Amino acid sequence: MPTIIIDDREIEVAPGTKVIEAAEQLGIMIPRFCYHPALGSVGACRVCAVKFLQGPFKGVQMSCMVDAQDDMVVSTTDKEAVAFRKYVIECLMLHHPHDCPVCDAGGHCLLQDMTVSGGHGIRRYLGKKRTYPDQYLGPLIQHEMNRCIHCYRCSRFYQDFGGYHDLGAMQSANQTYFGRFEEGILESPFSGNLIDICPTGVYTDKPSRYFGRRWDYERSPSLCINCSLGCQTVVSCRYRKVVRQEARLSESVNGHFICDRGRYGFFYNSLAQRPRSCIVDDQTTSVDQALAAVKQKLETFADKDRAQAVACAGSTRNSLETLAMVKHVCQTNRWQPPAYFEDAAATYKLKSAISRLEPDLTVSLREIESADFIAVLGADPLNEAPMLALALRQAQRKGATVAVFDPRPIFLPFEFKHLPANLDMIQTDLGALLNAALEPAALKKLDGSAREFYASLATVKQISAARQAEIVALAELLKASQRPIIVCGTEMVRRQTPALAADYALLMQAAGKSVGLFYVMPGANGFAAGLLADEDVSVETLIAGIEKGSIKMLILVESNPLWQFPDRHRLEQALQQLEVLVVMDYINSEVAQKADIFLPTTTLYETGGVYVNQEGRAQGVKPAYQGGIPIAQTGHGDHPPRVYGTEIPGAEPQAAWQLLAHLIGTGQPLTAEDLRAEIWQWLAKIDSGFKALPCVADIQPQGARFFQAPHAAERFLRERPIGGADNDGQLEVMAVEMTFGTEELSADSACLKALAGSPVIFMYSSDAKQLNLTDGDRVSVELNGGAVEARLQVTANMAAGMLIIPRHKDLDWQKMNTDKTFVHKDQIRKLKD
Amino acid sequence: MNDAVEAVKALAIGFATTFKHLFRKPITEEYPEYKRPLPARSRARIILTRDPDGAERCVACYLCSAVCPVSCISMQSAENEDGRRYAQWFRINFARCIYCGLCEEACPTSAIQLTPEFENCENDILALVYEKKNLLVDHQGKDKEYNYYKYAGVATEVGKKGEHVKEERPVNIKSNLP
Repeated sequence: MPTIIIDDREIEVAPGTKVIEAAEQLGIMIPRFCYHPALGSVGACRVCAVKFLQGPFKGVQMSCMVDAQDDMVVSTTDKEAVAFRKYVIECLMLHHPHDCPVCDAGGHCLLQDMTVSGGHGIRRYLGKKRTYPDQYLGPLIQHEMNRCIHCYRCSRFYQDFGGYHDLGAMQSANQTYFGRFEEGILESPFSGNLIDICPTGVYTDKPSRYFGRRWDYERSPSLCINCSLGCQTVVSCRYRKVVRQEARLSESVNGHFICDRGRYGFFYNSLAQRPRSCIVDDQTTSVDQALAAVKQKLETFADKDRAQAVACAGSTRNSLETLAMVKHVCQTNRWQPPAYFEDAAATYKLKSAISRLEPDLTVSLREIESADFIAVLGADPLNEAPMLALALRQAQRKGATVAVFDPRPIFLPFEFKHLPANLDMIQTDLGALLNAALEPAALKKLDGSAREFYASLATVKQISAARQAEIVALAELLKASQRPIIVCGTEMVRRQTPALAADYALLMQAAGKSVGLFYVMPGANGFAAGLLADEDVSVETLIAGIEKGSIKMLILVESNPLWQFPDRHRLEQALQQLEVLVVMDYINSEVAQKADIFLPTTTLYETGGVYVNQEGRAQGVKPAYQGGIPIAQTGHGDHPPRVYGTEIPGAEPQAAWQLLAHLIGTGQPLTAEDLRAEIWQWLAKIDSGFKALPCVADIQPQGARFFQAPHAAERFLRERPIGGADNDGQLEVMAVEMTFGTEELSADSACLKALAGSPVIFMYSSDAKQLNLTDGDRVSVELNGGAVEARLQVTANMAAGMLIIPRHKDLDWQKMNTDKTFVHKDQIRKLKD
Repeated sequence: MNDAVEAVKALAIGFATTFKHLFRKPITEEYPEYKRPLPARSRARIILTRDPDGAERCVACYLCSAVCPVSCISMQSAENEDGRRYAQWFRINFARCIYCGLCEEACPTSAIQLTPEFENCENDILALVYEKKNLLVDHQGKDKEYNYYKYAGVATEVGKKGEHVKEERPVNIKSNLP
């Protein structure tokens, strides 16, 4: 451990630590532009110069390029170093366009800070300035190249870190340019990070362009709820509106970055069409009156037998408080148990995944970066949880092998092995890989059930001949691996797959590997919903109940089954049969428009909440602002109304859990704080794992890992589907998630609509050949509930015998009727353009 | 005896001076009958000026509102069709303003200026809240020359890239020649 003296203060640092990092540990911030903890050093900007007084070498050196070594004595304030930095700043400013007043980075610009603190206040250079043309880079990022200081952070992030190559350095020497060869929308779904890492204003945020200054924003730590990873963010609010969302450094979840779905997924919060007042039978009323109306309707179902005619559904975007309250209300009032998921299989898969997340298997998103072999089973990282793809990319950069067992046309921004097969075969393939990779000698140590499980795995010879060579090659790599990780999806896969993934992990653990298990779950709070859900209850069983006439009143709490349920027609019919439909939500969802009684609720930014991510990390969020209609809307684009008042307009909505509390008993409802405390107590009774939560609600930066209370989960499943059955010329239809456009909350963001594009249906190349279809054809597919039309994309990069349909808004994928459906090949027709 | 003479003399001189002034023209200026022209730099009512081409100078950069010690300035910046940043609305609460002039000092475009016009009392306090239409004037104020967009390297109708003061033509990014 080298010991180094910086500015007369001694510090011991880990070997390989750069001097600039050592200084940071002492609290000394050496100026920097090109150095970034996630991107490393390149020594391009020359602004981190310090003077080495003693040690292996002396003189002015770049602190980001020198490893801290013993006997080094460094001065950051030496005259020579200070003068050096001052001249560097002056040189960097030679061509600066002096447009800070109209630059959105002004106020949080590193170049501004360094120029002022470096002492360069008056311009001495009288020559002409170099200028650059700017490019259109899509709806998210504004380009202004004149401000560039050539630190290379953007191209290093975009290409090296992110793995995309359509943005980078062009030209040479003093005219080096950062942009695309042809202007156009950036391909990377992580492009928004360019805004955060650019030390000046070359890349600025387009949706919030010219909205305000950093110093005016109410900034607070927050959370992204646009997928199950739960990335940590910082939100900026101003004039009663959420303006921006940026990444917050998290050592256990997202690191320094977030994806664009998360960054721009908050616009639902401030939409003009966001419902803010209660509606009872198409009449606007107050919250009290609407609650009274709900209670009045409930009175009809007051007695014991009739109570079962009331049902309540939550969703995976509920906060933990709401999820718990939904269940609590249902239990107390003896209604039907709550439904959180579309079908019973989803509940089953989540429950089995949660029960299998044991402390020594579970890994966080950041830990994936240190794996050396990653098997992805039934998950599409970039489309289901984009930041997972970035974490896999980091592992791959460090030499890990990534093998994806999934039927979809998977794209990842790096070199990986895709073994497409149908949903039954993927787990067989992974089993065969394990079978081939584990040494028989190591397996002697296995106990009974593990050995039995191992014996039941498919051998390489049992899988398709075309695949065998690939599996054998991968098995060699897995054999040498010390730290393998299994990433498993829980949404598209078969019932047993999540449990099987855990069994595979346990098997590798038994064979002596330090193995990790990582699930991808549906929705931001899928983990908590899975924990609280009753096994046999789902939206589907509620619909069946409505059809039978046993359910007459339905309360939907921040849940919109019309978005997600695969049989739209049946759901719409059922909703019409209801006597009373109550909806509580903060978005103007389709189902909200059908409600008899509607109550607006608050968002994460207005009331905060606890969300449990897919690894069981409970993370709490405090409110970011007080709520209310944005000033831009009350002023109708002009100045705010010229009236005095102490009340915030449009602040009537309450948290869903507060509204629900009114439906229990007749007593005076508790204050928000007491109610929250009661919810934690009540949750702790359900599962002792929840006992740590009150501290999470006070925001621990890293959250708290939730593990289910010790239980006897069934290890090493005996019954496993062995795939490979031929579908008799039928194609299995799979409705899948895309990065943009299929997630409910981010689908409301106008800036992301352009990125969602128009829907395409994916088909395997030889299937398409059989049907005489070519790439780009318009096709009509006859599903159970009618025909859907879209353009066809033919690819060899997916499983045969499948038809992949994105859950795109412009495509009636909800004509599928069930989540597992087949179409016969002659139900696919080519349409004329 | 001498003292008495001195005292009478002093009294006589005093009364003589007073008597003389009875017949002089008064120098007191009666306000509001007479309004004395104040120096241009005196600090009173705030205006938003225009550049010599007649366009609004204010780019809504928020520097004046940031520096204002009593937080009496608020605004919303936005973007025009031609790429200019401008104030969608701009409000000064003169009931709160202390006329310190820091906003004028902070303004990078010479847009916000204090004028000698100090007579802006109102009975209704809301009338002291000035909106942009009350603030915007049709002249350049004290700075007759400056047009910010001629110097800043952003493309507007005042000049495209490379057309501003002391700028080279834009780099050809598809070439590798120095």
